[in-house]
Parts: sequence; structure tokens; C-alpha cells
Amino acid sequence: MRGVTALLGPLKYLLLAAALAYPLTPVSDVYVLHVLVLVMVYMVLAMGLNIMPGFCGLLDLGYVGFYGIGAYTAGLLTLTYDLSFWVIVPLAVVNGALWGVILGAPTLRLVGDYFAIVTFGFSELVVLFLTNEIWLTRGPLGLPGIAPVSLDLSWLSTLFNPEWDWKYVFSGETPYYYLGFLMVAVIYAVMRRVEDSRLGRAWLAIREDPMAAASAGVNLFEYKIIAFAVSSGIGALAGAFFARWTLFLSPDMFKFWESFLVLCMVVLGGLGNIRGSLIGAAVLISLGEVLRVVLPGLGLPAETRFLVYGLIMVLIMRFRPGGFFTAVAESTMSGPLIMDLRRRLAARKTG
Amino acid sequence: MLEQQLVNGLTLGLIYALIAVGYTMVYGVIELINFAHGEVYMFGAFLCMTFLTVFGAPLIVAVLLAMACCAIMGVLLDVVAYRPLRNAPRLAALITAIGMSIFLQNLAMIIWGSRPLPFVKEALPAFFKVTALSFGEVNISWMQMTIYIVAVSLMILLNLVITKTRTGTAMRALAQNRVCASLMGISVNRVIAFTFALGSGLGAMAGIMVSMFYNTMYPTMGYNAGVKAFAAAVLGGIGSVPGAMFGGVVLGIAETLGAGYVSSPYRDGVAYAIMILVIILRPSGLLGRAVTEKA
Amino acid sequence: MEPILRVDGVSKKFGGLMALSDVSFEVARGRILGLIGPNGAGKTTMFNCVAGLYKPTEGAIVFRPGDRDQDVQGVKPEKMTALGVARTFQNIRLFSSLTVLDNVRIGRHCRTSSNFFGAVLRTRSQRAEERRIIDDAMEWLDFVGLGSFALQSAASLSYGDQRRLEIARALATDPKLLLLDEPAAGMNPKETESLVDLIYAILEKDVTVVLIEHDMKLVMRICEHLVVLDHGVKIAEGAPAAIRENPDVIEAYLGKGAAHA
Repeated sequence: MRGVTALLGPLKYLLLAAALAYPLTPVSDVYVLHVLVLVMVYMVLAMGLNIMPGFCGLLDLGYVGFYGIGAYTAGLLTLTYDLSFWVIVPLAVVNGALWGVILGAPTLRLVGDYFAIVTFGFSELVVLFLTNEIWLTRGPLGLPGIAPVSLDLSWLSTLFNPEWDWKYVFSGETPYYYLGFLMVAVIYAVMRRVEDSRLGRAWLAIREDPMAAASAGVNLFEYKIIAFAVSSGIGALAGAFFARWTLFLSPDMFKFWESFLVLCMVVLGGLGNIRGSLIGAAVLISLGEVLRVVLPGLGLPAETRFLVYGLIMVLIMRFRPGGFFTAVAESTMSGPLIMDLRRRLAARKTG
Repeated sequence: MLEQQLVNGLTLGLIYALIAVGYTMVYGVIELINFAHGEVYMFGAFLCMTFLTVFGAPLIVAVLLAMACCAIMGVLLDVVAYRPLRNAPRLAALITAIGMSIFLQNLAMIIWGSRPLPFVKEALPAFFKVTALSFGEVNISWMQMTIYIVAVSLMILLNLVITKTRTGTAMRALAQNRVCASLMGISVNRVIAFTFALGSGLGAMAGIMVSMFYNTMYPTMGYNAGVKAFAAAVLGGIGSVPGAMFGGVVLGIAETLGAGYVSSPYRDGVAYAIMILVIILRPSGLLGRAVTEKA
Repeated sequence: MEPILRVDGVSKKFGGLMALSDVSFEVARGRILGLIGPNGAGKTTMFNCVAGLYKPTEGAIVFRPGDRDQDVQGVKPEKMTALGVARTFQNIRLFSSLTVLDNVRIGRHCRTSSNFFGAVLRTRSQRAEERRIIDDAMEWLDFVGLGSFALQSAASLSYGDQRRLEIARALATDPKLLLLDEPAAGMNPKETESLVDLIYAILEKDVTVVLIEHDMKLVMRICEHLVVLDHGVKIAEGAPAAIRENPDVIEAYLGKGAAHA
């Protein structure tokens, strides 16, 4: 698989350019754009979740809880205070991270499966809360009418011409496509930088051998909390975007199935492999859409796709339990300092 | 009123206990949370109903057949899905378990539809409706009485199997140290399969009793009950069979009282809250043993 | 000169088992102390108590890296490392799927400080620190002779080299006291010889070394002082020549009646 990514090389810039241009071309299709935006949401979720099992070796079975917290924070703030998306995002992220810390503080000292079980219980409680606290969330009726994202640059435009009023309200899929692109790119860059840093190395050490990590000077609890806070913050970010994109929220959008789906994306792409998370998200979402179309053609109801999903995951785990890509901390092998070191080492051999 | 709640809580609790022992036994021998166990419980109910309606079998036959089928289903689950992953990373086995759970849930939806179905009232013996015991304002019907008797008998039987038979002892040995157990000549795979069969049979009985008592069954019932039974197993100490029984009863009573006196919509939340609190405050559960890692 | 470490009446109980029973000894600064004894004597348990993995049931451990005593019984491992106590493990515990370089870079963790924001924003101080970390890590790798393997995966090293890598990682934490748990285990005579050179080089860096070892030739050769444990109890202490003749020690290793063998 590493050969494939090496082959892509310059080709990937071409693909990137094509992807950026796609919505503006005449062949662009609204449905396809919608699916692509959905893929982007899950790419962010997968990258966020990857921090836990992928970098720290901690299984989080309740990721949807933070996704839901981010979404409902964004939705409620929009409906109640009509705040701008750009103000809501940091608020939702902080709220998500805060709940990560609240949940993590008493539970991150636990070993293995216990943490997984607690996160699962937490996410179920979140759904229960969203369903039952009708005074706040309208429960199962959901939150309709959330305002779409808007860009208000009138303060800038008036600098050029007092009559100009640069206000743009997002409509249709295309603006969300570009916003999603930006979101994925930012989180990707953040993850790559963290991976090749003191923080990322500390996380990887915790994953590899917690006892050795502690003896090497890493405060396990502190770094696990940081991981959980960053992970839940990213989940909340995806939730906030999701809320202002679908413009409607209901508690049954945040069930355990979502946690499972994102976990599968992370495992498929290889634990700890950031690029793998992107691919895992793209593959599983596309699979869902393909199934949604193909199954009725075979005479089966569209709901059967969950059955097929389950079966496919079982089969993939059977034959490729480690995912499709090896989990090599890539950026630690390609940063400028390492390339420099490589040269120095090569010079030693010849010199 | 309180007495009635306690009686109902006990009924629910015994059912949870029957499911919980399945989780705890499997976790004890292979350290896997068998997510698909709830679906076996659900299939127990549906299969029993199918045997009654489609094959016209008498109640006892339908019940025993359903239990046997589910026991086989449990073994198949192990052999087909979990055994090949015995040495794979634990996350892979967990995902497989969840995948099988989703598969089975949706399979049931395709076979029997996703709407709740009632139990076959006509198949129930007439005396079930008769009050067996009555004190104060509390009535315990013969159906409830039968549930108590059957559930408790099964648990006593299970305890005997685990403590007195060779296979049961082998199970306990496996739970302590799998490598050593196999070195002692224990056929690991066979014992694990037996564990699945045992847990699944009991789970099926729980499903049948629930569908009988509440007169309803639906394909997602395994998910709800499964999570709660798992919480019960954690409460009692995951890996401990007496713990699972104890935890089941405690959870059933706690949930019923909570729903009755504190908050009904949050009744499911009682299980989750208990699970989280137990893990934070006493991870080894009420009856389990704590484990430390060697340097 | 004050001893760098004082173990004072330390006992450690696990359930019903008394792994250590009222053990006391001192470690002289800048010297090599050998902690020996038959298997199960409690040597690694002692290391674990000093390094912070276990809290002694009774007794005190006093660490004196500078000119002040510090009570360190029960202090967590990462804090002990920051204070200046590093250790290696009996069964090598490397970060196997990481590179050799990364293993040692992680050793620099407690001597560096950049956080999440530094990493994401790539501030000038963070970048300078990263450069220093690589330089320091390479220095230690060269010190143990593994410099050219820096970018290989740790798992690809030979057994002897893996032990050296673990030592390099421990040294990268800038310790004042280094606890080596059976560093020569599984080594052939040539590798053991290089290990001796390495340990002497470590001493020259002003690091005190405590060694658990079963290779008696090695122990007798390089240790200046020995503490002997058996079944959790200290049975002898002194210079190697005296310990070699000590009947209690001989009995512990070889059984009754072997004292005159």
C-alpha cells in the first residue's frame, strides 16, 4: 500500500486541483456534492477519533456523544442568540473539549476496556438527555430552522465603497463544499503537526508501552486528558459544521451506530494513520451510498444496508484486522529536520 | 406500591441476571465483550414465537427448541466470527462483535419486520393469569412465579455446572490463565464453545420470558436489554458469575424503583449511570477481583 | 560525600506476599553498586520502589541528587525521572513500532516543554526546541554506538542493540542515578565487553549506576559495592571479594552444603 501512495506523488496535486474545481464544473451534481460534504464531516470525525485508539491506544466507544454536544451547542446557540457561525465554532469546540475533560478526569486512569465502557455509557446518556430535556432541545421533535452559515464582510467592503455590502448567506451545497474542504485541511494540518512534535511522541509512547512512557518522563494522566480534550473538541467541531449544514437536528442522528461507523473508518485506515482516516471515511460513506442505491435494485429495502455494513466489517476484520494501511507515523519520517538528519547520516557512511 | 415495585423489579432483575451471566462468562474466558449476545436473547423470543405459530408446537417444546437453537447460534458466532480473531488485535474482535450484532439485528428485521410483535397468548397455560401469591396490595401471578422458579433454577444449575463439572472447572481455569489451561490438556476451543452455548441458552430463555411477560418483542430489544445486562455484569464484577446474577437483580430493582419514584424517561439512564459510577469508584465491581500488572 | 540514594527500612507487601522486608542500604555517589541475589529475591521490586512504580508499604527512600535530601517513596515514575532517576527494564520495554531516534527523543520529554499550541503553531521556540531534541538524541545514540541506526525501526535492532537503545533512552532523561535491570542478559561475551565500556563511560558522565545482574563475572569485575537480597531480605553487603566468600550468599545461590564447595 505504501507503494501506491508513493506512486500518487505529483498525481495527488492534480487530484486536489480537480477536487477543488469540481463544484464549478458543468458535470457537478448536487447529490454527489452532498455526499462529498458528508464525507468531509466524517473525515474530521475520523481524524479526531484516531487520536484516542490510534495515537494513545485508548478505545473510545462514545465518540458520537461529543459530535452531538457540538451539534446541539451550535444549533441551540444559533436558534436562541442568532450568533454567527464563526463565533459558534470556537464555543462548540470548547464545550466539547470541556466535556472531554469532565468525563476523562475520573476515568482516564482506568485500564483498557473500562474506559471504553464508560465512554459508551456517556454517549448513551447524552442521547437520553437530548431526547428527554424537551424544554431545551424539543426532544424527538428535533431542532428545525437552524440558520445556514453566513459570511458577513460588510465591515471590509465599506472600506472600499460605503455602498458595498459583502454579505453572503450559504445556500446549496457548493459553499459548504469549500468550507468543508477548509475544515478538513485545517484539521489535517493540525494533526500532522501534532504527530511530529513532543506531544505526538508522548502520545505514541503511551500507546506503545505506558509503563515505559512513564519511566521516560511522560505524565500519563496529563497527556491522556489532553488527547481526550483535543479529540472531543474536534468531534464537536464536526458537529457544529453539521448543524449549520443540515439545518436540522434530532437526537436519533447521534446514536451508537455513528460511533461504530467512525471507529470502523479509523481502523480501516490504520490506527494512527492520519491519511488513512481520510480514506476510511471516504470508503465507508461511499459504500453506504452505493448500498442505498444498489439494494433496492436487488429487491431489498434500503435499510438492509446496515446488515451489509455489519457483514462487510466482519469480513474486513477477518482478513485485514490491522486495516489497509500500515500505521507509520509518516510525518515523523518526512519533516525537514528529519530529512536533514537523513542527509547527515548518509554523509557519515560515505565520508 | 413499593412492594409491587420490588416484585416487578425482581422479575426484571432475574431476567437481566440470566442475560448478564452470558456476558460475564464469555468475557471471563476470552476477554471479549460479546456485543451480539443481546441479539441471541432477541432471537430466543422470536424463535420461540415462530415455533409456536408456524409449527404449532406446544409451549415447552417451543421453549426448549428455541434455547437449543440459540445455543447453537452462540457457538456458531464463536466459531465463525470470533475464533479466527483469537490472536488478532483486540479492537478487531470488538468490531467484529459489533458488526455481528448489527447484522443479526437487521436480519431479524428482514425476517420478522421491524414492528413489535405480541407473544402468542393462546399458547400460555390458563393458570398463568391466576394469582399465585397475594400480600397487601401486591399480586404475584403464576406467570411471574414461574419466571422466578425457572430463572432461579437455571442459575442454580449454572452454578453447579461451573463448580462441579469438569467442563465448568475448565472454564474457570481458562478464565484465570489460558496458556496454562491449554498446557494442562484442556481443549481451549471446545471449552470456549461450551461457554458460548451455555450463555446463549440462558439468554434465549431470558428473551422468551420477557416476551411472555411484557407480551411484546421487537428486533432492537436485544440492544437495550444487552446494554443493561452488561451494566449488571460490570456492577457485579465482570468475569464473576455470582456477580452477574447479583448485579442483574440489583439493577432490575434499581431501574424499576428509579422509574417509579425518580424519573420515568430516564429509566434506561439508571443502568448507564450505575455502570459509569461502578467503574469509576470500584472497577472490580461488587464481587470481582482487582488485577495489577507486573512490571 | 553524602550518598546519592538511601533506602531505609523499606518493606513491600503484595497481598500475602512480603516481597521486600526491612531492606536498608546506601548508594555512594559516582560509584557502581550491584544489587544481586537469586531469582525472586526482590531486586526488581526494589528498583520499582525507587523508580516510583511501587509505593513501599513501609520505610523511606531518600534521594539526594544535589545538596538536599528528598523523600521520594511513593513519588510517581514520571516525577522520579524528572528528579533524576532513570531505569531500564528486565524485559526490554522499547517503543517497538517507533524509530530508534523517536525512542530516544521521548527520553528528552521531561527536559523539554513545548505543548499543543507550540506544536500546532510551530512557534520559533518550539522549532528550536525540536532541533535541540534531535541533536541531544543523536548525541546519546552516538554515545551508545547506535547513531547510524537512528531512522530504523526499533524492532529491527538486534537484541544487544535493543538493550543499548533502552539505555540511551534512559540517559536522554539526564539522570543522576541510573538503574540498570539485567543489562547483560542474553548477551555474548563480546557484547558484554562493550557493555562494560559503556557503563564506565556513563560513570564518567557523573551518573551513579546501580546494577541488577546475574552474570557474576561482570558483577565481580565492575561493581565496587554489592548488596545481596534473598527472599526479600538483605543477607549481605560489602566489597565483591568479601561477598564471594560469604557463606550466607553462597548458600542462597547454591543451597545448603554448598558453602564449602
